[in-house]
Amino acid sequence: MVNLPNTPADIVPFIISIITSHTFITLVIFPGMIHLMIVSAFLTWYERKLLARIQLRIGPLYAGGIGGILQPVADGVKLIFKEVIVPYKADRTLFTWIPLVLIFLGTLPFAVIPFGAHWVIANLDVGLVFVFATTSLFPSMIIIFAWASNSKYPFIGGLRSLFQQVAYEIPMWISALSVVILAGSVNLVDIVKAQSKIWFIVPAFLSFIVFFICIMAELERLPFDLPEAEPELVAGWYTEASGAIFMALFLALYLKLYMMSALTTVLFLGGWWGPGFLPQPVWTILKAMVVATAIIIPRGIYPRIRVDMLIRIGWTRLLLIALANVFITVLVVNSGLLTAWGL
Amino acid sequence: MALNPWVVIVIWALLILLLTGPLLTLPYLMTFPKRKEDPFRDMPFESGQVPQGEARHRLAMQYYPYVLMFVVFDVVGMFLFAWGISFRAISASASFVVLLFLILLGAPLGFALRLALRRENW
Repeated sequence: MVNLPNTPADIVPFIISIITSHTFITLVIFPGMIHLMIVSAFLTWYERKLLARIQLRIGPLYAGGIGGILQPVADGVKLIFKEVIVPYKADRTLFTWIPLVLIFLGTLPFAVIPFGAHWVIANLDVGLVFVFATTSLFPSMIIIFAWASNSKYPFIGGLRSLFQQVAYEIPMWISALSVVILAGSVNLVDIVKAQSKIWFIVPAFLSFIVFFICIMAELERLPFDLPEAEPELVAGWYTEASGAIFMALFLALYLKLYMMSALTTVLFLGGWWGPGFLPQPVWTILKAMVVATAIIIPRGIYPRIRVDMLIRIGWTRLLLIALANVFITVLVVNSGLLTAWGL
Repeated sequence: MALNPWVVIVIWALLILLLTGPLLTLPYLMTFPKRKEDPFRDMPFESGQVPQGEARHRLAMQYYPYVLMFVVFDVVGMFLFAWGISFRAISASASFVVLLFLILLGAPLGFALRLALRRENW
């Protein structure tokens, strides 16, 4: 802890000692704000480019100078200066501030997600529970936003989003439970440290599959993008969003995409572990980008499934597989098959 | 010397609000003082037509059995985390009780799924 300044001459060293402190650097630069802004802008560009490659969309494929890398900046500038249109009889307060809450909820879990052994903002003992608690607030905020916008399409989209995220939350938790049993901790740093010899995708492959399907549904990605189904619901729960509100919602969604990819990396893909020629944070970001690619690619390939099929798959198949996983993990741990890897 | 992680999380939350607040506050302040009433601009989107009826209407709460299952498995999932952390510390007979409880929960789960898969119960 730095000493408080006593004399005016101490103020400059005091400020320097704060700026160079580990907490400040993690908060502002690396796993913190600047890194998140750059990566979320990159992800919007990356998704467009990837879908353009898959579906031969001429515009995003060739637009712009340096591969169109300035397109996110141009979008941001355009959307900030557009007029915010609040629909007739909409709840203006909720309509304007819920996007901010969504960005807040999308950014808050990054405090506990480790990008390296020391590259973590807050080494919290209940990290995984904190992440799940924060992400489970998303559907309620979405239904409030949909209710506030006083329009029929957002309302139906918000209800669908609520059902979908509620249905896929439970299999997600229970499939993450097998990782908790294997690592013996919910501290995300400890979970990654336990994977130094073997990544948890190997002993818990089934729960990785369930977890991956569940985060696809939580992120409302195709084939589970019923809340924003374009042919039926125009744009789903953000139909009425315009200008800065639209930008804030998209920023929140891309932050959530990156957060879920990083969480999958930390839980199953060994976090920062990798060959030593690259530093630890680079490995985490690379693996998170691979997961994000795997989440984005189905958007260019698969059709959308029906809403009753979605709910039924979530509750009957995924929940039962996730519960069976708990038993499998208990058997694997008790049988001592993993003692060679220190688990 | 490191700060308490909860203090760091509070600082992080304040930092998020500080940096993302202007993103929405500035357009809000730029737009709203000079607004005029415009019934066509402020109309909710309904495929180009004048909106009919209430937007916040009462929808039938479908998939009701699934919601009841959520109430059970939300709490169970939470307590299973506490068991999962201490799995290696407690004896196998203690874990057996938890697993037995999960097996016993399978019977009402099967019944609820049987109800939920019937179309007339939606």
